[in-house]
Amino acid sequence: MSWLKAVSARIVASVRGKRFEDNLAAEVQAHLEMLVDENVRRGMSPEDARYAALRSFGSVAQMREEYRDRRGLPMIETLGQDIRYALRQLRRSPGFAAVAILTLALGIGANTAIFSVVNTVLLRPLPYRDADRLVMVWGNDRAHGYDTDQVSPPDFQDWQAQNRVFESMAGSTDVTYTLTGVGDPEPITAYEYSAESFRVLGVPPLLGRTFAPEEDQDGRNHVVVLGYRLWQSRFGGDRGLVGRTITLNGAPYTVVGVMPQAFPDAVDQLWTPLVIPPEAVHDRNYRFLRVVARLKSGVTLQQAQIEMNTIAARLANAYPKTNKDEGVNIISMRQTKTGDIRAPLLVLLCAVGFVLLIACANVANLVLARAMARQREVAVRTALGASRSRLLSQLLTESALLGLAGGAIGLVIAYWATGALVAMFPPNIANLNIPRVDKIPIDGWVLGFALGVSLLTALIFGLVPALHVCGMSTYESLKDSGRSVSGTRQGRRFRSVLAVTEVWISLVLLAAAGLMLKSLVHLLRGDLGLNPDRVLSMRVMLPDSKYPKDTQQLAFGDQVLERIKSLPGVQSAGTVTFLPLSGWWGVRNVALESQKIPEQERPQVVWSSVTPDYFRAMNIPLLKGRYFADSDRAGSTAVTIISATLAKRVAPNVDPLGERLVVAGVKDPVEVVGVVGDVHQLGMTSNETAEVYLPFAQLPSPLMCFAIRTASDPVGLAKAAQKAIWAVDKDQALSYVMTMTQLASESLALQRVVAILLGILAAVALALAAIGLYGVISYSASQRTHEIGIRMALGASRSEVLRLVVLDGLKLTLLGIGIGLAVALALARLMSSLLYGVAPRDPSTLAGVAIVLALVALLASYIPARRAMRVDPMTALRYE
Amino acid sequence: MTGGKEDILRGTLDLLVLKTLETLGPLHGYGIARRIEQVSEQLLHLNQGTLYPALLRLEQRGWISSKWGTSDNNRRARYYSLTKSGKKQLAREAESWERMVGVIARLLQGEAIIG
Repeated sequence: MSWLKAVSARIVASVRGKRFEDNLAAEVQAHLEMLVDENVRRGMSPEDARYAALRSFGSVAQMREEYRDRRGLPMIETLGQDIRYALRQLRRSPGFAAVAILTLALGIGANTAIFSVVNTVLLRPLPYRDADRLVMVWGNDRAHGYDTDQVSPPDFQDWQAQNRVFESMAGSTDVTYTLTGVGDPEPITAYEYSAESFRVLGVPPLLGRTFAPEEDQDGRNHVVVLGYRLWQSRFGGDRGLVGRTITLNGAPYTVVGVMPQAFPDAVDQLWTPLVIPPEAVHDRNYRFLRVVARLKSGVTLQQAQIEMNTIAARLANAYPKTNKDEGVNIISMRQTKTGDIRAPLLVLLCAVGFVLLIACANVANLVLARAMARQREVAVRTALGASRSRLLSQLLTESALLGLAGGAIGLVIAYWATGALVAMFPPNIANLNIPRVDKIPIDGWVLGFALGVSLLTALIFGLVPALHVCGMSTYESLKDSGRSVSGTRQGRRFRSVLAVTEVWISLVLLAAAGLMLKSLVHLLRGDLGLNPDRVLSMRVMLPDSKYPKDTQQLAFGDQVLERIKSLPGVQSAGTVTFLPLSGWWGVRNVALESQKIPEQERPQVVWSSVTPDYFRAMNIPLLKGRYFADSDRAGSTAVTIISATLAKRVAPNVDPLGERLVVAGVKDPVEVVGVVGDVHQLGMTSNETAEVYLPFAQLPSPLMCFAIRTASDPVGLAKAAQKAIWAVDKDQALSYVMTMTQLASESLALQRVVAILLGILAAVALALAAIGLYGVISYSASQRTHEIGIRMALGASRSEVLRLVVLDGLKLTLLGIGIGLAVALALARLMSSLLYGVAPRDPSTLAGVAIVLALVALLASYIPARRAMRVDPMTALRYE
Repeated sequence: MTGGKEDILRGTLDLLVLKTLETLGPLHGYGIARRIEQVSEQLLHLNQGTLYPALLRLEQRGWISSKWGTSDNNRRARYYSLTKSGKKQLAREAESWERMVGVIARLLQGEAIIG
């Protein structure tokens, strides 16, 4: 306890410093006077008595120093002193302070911005109870390489009954409703959840309840749980809504609960009970469930995978007809939610880290230069008795102030940048495992990160120069020349290390940016197979309840298309089941009838049913045969059009025209009447281009996407096109009203953002490295002015001097480039998942960036070299 | 240093101060310094100034307390006195000092025998 007393005494003393000081002075005064009195009594003269008293008391100043250290909180007091001193120093050299702070602000800002994204997307726990134990359990269709296959109800039941690794499992399936009665009819992407689903996820409702087990039967299932967003946007957050009914697909549903805001999902806006249709109960081929499961505590994902493999093998044995090639694939919930953004974020995090390192190196260089200039000051202070640790802490305080100022401005930069980073999360692309992010908040974690990085940076760039200066011998520094040999050599080595570091890091960044840009160019230049310019698209999902029959769906499509085609400015218009680039797609097995391939082994290809003008609206070229025509109707010969890739795959050696194709789910074989160009249905990042098209008239579907080619302005047409739909059915909801260019751009949004960011970061790195190299070379050239003067006096030509200095820079650059190439090759793996059409170790990119860097470095050392060349030998020799 | 005076051993100053205050009661810094020098018969050399940081330390630990008073010849001076916990501390330090002295004495004797 005595230390506690001591500490509190010190705190009191710190606060009441002045009085304590006065008291001490009075006490010492009294002591000395008593000593003098005593000495006088012994017979000394007053003057001698005084001297003797001071002698036996010892150094008053030293005592007072010691007393002060002991009395208050020396750390805090000297810290205050250091800060005031550092501020004075920085104010005295505003240029240095500004350059250092801005450099740091760039580095810290970039790091904070990327960290805020990581924080929002990867670090924040998923809003489920024990989210780390949640997994998605998919089928794995090995025959077709489809590893996230949905699951049939009987398979799901067997999984549930046989496994010992999951605490609970639940199935769900997606469904689209049209919400009417409140505002414009709106399509709602929703999920049918089993009663168990909410319990597996472990999130209680905000209001009301979730589903009861008995509500999963047809007839009792007209209950609904609302998502927070829909509840707010459509019902104004009305807490009295629970118990009332809303209209979905024209039928009344009773609202039983509302989920909290944190309950996620890009698409879930409401939930209805999962009803297994009677025809699906025993059909193992009817795969439509998404299965979420909670691992038992202590069970790893690998153990679960092994167990489920065993069960799948058992099922394959028991039901070879349907399950021979059906495995199980378990993916963690986190991977499911954020899988596609992880790699780009990690790459960016590395990149900003590298930029910060370069920034540190540059500032360290500046600080070192300043520290060298202050060598004499330091030496004088050391000679006057300042301890080394005291000097060190003072120099570091200055660095910390720079770091914190840089961090503060960096936060502003980060705040501004996060707005731009939201573009990494394209809202309309369905097949990316990226969470929906509307804004990227700067929260406590981000602030803490910025503070930590600021201080860490300060330590990195401040410590070495400070140690360097404090470590120098006082004598050498005090010598008048100020060119202590040891100091210069050490400083030079340190500078060289900094320069080489900057060069290698910027090479790595340039390489990453180069690869990413090359990949982006490849994707942008790539032929989508359709022309997205001036095409308006919108999606319609006809509700079952209102359009149960094919003919009704057909009639709806025909009527709407007729109205749209008559709008001014429309060149052609058609519908397609799955709009290319939207991330939605469907697959069917196909094979030539003549080849007699068993169904399980037939290739699985992307399909759509389209109206005749769809190909014209999208500018998909006809390669052979004909497009669909109005005469391809129900009752006429069943026909199909296939893509070039599919033609090559199913009929490599024969003319596909006139061949009959068996398409899964279509009763009779269809005759191939045309071959069209390949379309990158899932965007340029996918190579899936085997496609089969069926006439909408022969295979109608309630899901249809309109593609409308306009003469000039697709956006201006949107209102009129929507009106055309509502003229046919005023309750029909439509969604994804957007241009194809917009969709094409969004489908590459992530690639583009990463490429742009890496490009900016690499440019910043290059600029910083050039400045750093320039600083190092010009410093060393100026240090060698004397030497250069001698050389020139002895007859060295100017070009020889030039070569001398440039060679200095070139040596450092080449070393840096060598290290950089090695690091770039080593880190290539990190990039591989982001690159398309370019190898992660692409030699031409690496060579290209190395040359760019070498040229910039050459320029950076040429300028100081020219200055050295112009030195007048006489001046240089006198320069001392 | 000079004239065969010994510097005060590090850490023993506390003990000397505490013991002085126990023997003489409340005393000002000058008085403590004089007492230590007298008792040591001028053998111990005390830089009197070093006394004050030590007094501060003891006071911060709560072993002594101080208040301002008037000296014999009417000077304002700060008087230090031993507190209760200071008495206990003195007992502890005295004991450990004696142990230490015993150890060193034995050690020296042993050396003498062996030597």
